Amino acid sequence: MPAVLLVALVAAVATLPLWPFANNYIVALAVRTLLFIALGQAWNVIAGIGGMLSLGHGLFFGLGAYATGLLFNSFGLTPWLGLFPAMAIAAAAGLLVGLVTGHLRGIYFALATVVMSLAFEKLARYFVDLTGGDTGLSVTFRGDAPWAMQWRGPTAFLFLSLAVVVIYYLATRAILRSRFGLELQAVRDDEGAAAASGVNTFRTKLLGLMLSAAMTALVGTLYMQFYLNIDPSTAFGLFQAIQIQLPALIGGLGTAGGPVIGGALMILVSEAANIASGKLNLQGVDVLIYGLVLLLVVMRAPLGIIGEWHRWTSRRAGGAR
Amino acid sequence: MELVQALLSGVLVGGVYGLFAMGFSLAFGVMRIVNFAHGELVMIGMYVGFFAFSLAGIDPLLAVPVALVLVGALGAGLYRLIYRRFVGRATLQQLLVAIALALVLQTLAQILVGPDAHAVQSGWGSRFLLIGPIFLPYAELAAFAVALVCVVGIELLLGRWRWGQMIRAVADDPEIAELVGMNAQRVNIVAFALSAGLAGLAGAVLVMMYYPVSPVVGATLMPIALIATVLGGLGSIGGAFIGGILCGIVEQVTSLFWNAALQDVPLYVLLLVIMAFLPQGLFGRQSAH
Repeated sequence: MPAVLLVALVAAVATLPLWPFANNYIVALAVRTLLFIALGQAWNVIAGIGGMLSLGHGLFFGLGAYATGLLFNSFGLTPWLGLFPAMAIAAAAGLLVGLVTGHLRGIYFALATVVMSLAFEKLARYFVDLTGGDTGLSVTFRGDAPWAMQWRGPTAFLFLSLAVVVIYYLATRAILRSRFGLELQAVRDDEGAAAASGVNTFRTKLLGLMLSAAMTALVGTLYMQFYLNIDPSTAFGLFQAIQIQLPALIGGLGTAGGPVIGGALMILVSEAANIASGKLNLQGVDVLIYGLVLLLVVMRAPLGIIGEWHRWTSRRAGGAR
Repeated sequence: MELVQALLSGVLVGGVYGLFAMGFSLAFGVMRIVNFAHGELVMIGMYVGFFAFSLAGIDPLLAVPVALVLVGALGAGLYRLIYRRFVGRATLQQLLVAIALALVLQTLAQILVGPDAHAVQSGWGSRFLLIGPIFLPYAELAAFAVALVCVVGIELLLGRWRWGQMIRAVADDPEIAELVGMNAQRVNIVAFALSAGLAGLAGAVLVMMYYPVSPVVGATLMPIALIATVLGGLGSIGGAFIGGILCGIVEQVTSLFWNAALQDVPLYVLLLVIMAFLPQGLFGRQSAH
């Protein structure tokens, strides 16, 4: 994306609260979109660039959210500091997941990771004293308390989540060009060839998974502070596992802009579906639309928006592909 | 005695798990399709059994063949519409499509029949067989009997029946099978319909043994099918049945010694251990590596 366009986009989102039609609902929707995008960006690092299609990122997201909330509730640790142990715990979990499942290929890795996430869902439901069980864990609300990363309105979260999305975008671009990113892509494209050219493939995969897990956990921290509650199925459930993949899959796997485009588009679609289901007085139409969109994209446009765009333009230019 | 009771209950419940796990294993073994929507097919079979009883008063046992045929036909339709494109490659795209389909079926069920869980109170009532201190409900015994009949039936089908032999031939090497004059796509439709039919059949059997049906029940059952299949060995259909029985035993023993709410957790751990250390499963020929 050209730098001018990028700056204009960031400025437009950052000034959203000043726009004439803006209200708390719109700003909160923007925060939801940005958090969704950030999750997609974090997943994209290992799944898009590294080709390890994890279905278990709900695990890292949930660990981040629960860790931040527990550290705040039990020890009064401010989330500004709590986000570091949260990210470290998730990275450690990423290391463990990688050690157990890193040798599995493609779909088997996906299945093993989703099973881990589902196991955590059951455990979170069971250990009620620690996690609050089915109703979930709530952080104590302190009103406008910047030290506790809490505000009454959504505006501060808009800036925070926008900052995270911009950092993740720039980080993804930097990773794609770095030696580490090239090694990850080599592992994705042909693991045998990568190993033969001297890439330590297992170490590369583990590092990628840990980085992606830590990035995911940070979004968990923000989610916890914004919604003030996390429950087992939101954190570790199957729907979350799928939802995390949508931005990158729909926008374009392994690209820096993909999760941004895909995430924004998906929230638009789901908002439209929500409004429609409100009008029709039906529950769950939005989930239905999610499922149908996913079905259509995977079957008709497997490369995502950016990938299909490149294919279309290169075909028009007579490029040989 | 409690342990014996848990083991026997586990075997009886596990027989039904084995039934739908065989369907899952069939789709994987023949077509390399990891059908994440398999649990939703079981759910549909359960609703067939449930509505047969609540609307028409038909005993769920008699609804079993109906569920087999209906869900089998649905499976054939889904294969034509969706799965056909993904045969032979267990890819993430295929997994995602199946997950999306599971989500769609689950939500449709929620919209059509509501989110509440139901269980039937059929003529099987609370009658049970008492052997000393061991307590075996007739409904579970009948369910296990149905499961056994089906396992023998499937093994005979795949061993003797012409279509069964064609299914195995296509599973071994679709190109050679086409070279010697088989229509691999038609064989695959039959195999997938059989896989879905087994799910539907198992659903009706579950209703007979008072397993409560709700739109989200498939999400609980799908991991069991997956674990039973990996446990039994990818590509071994009889192995999946044994895997299902093991799953039932692990669940019941966990309930006894730990907690019923956590009965699935050791199963998940078991799956990870098998994938990490015994990738070919107990009876399998193919590995996950």
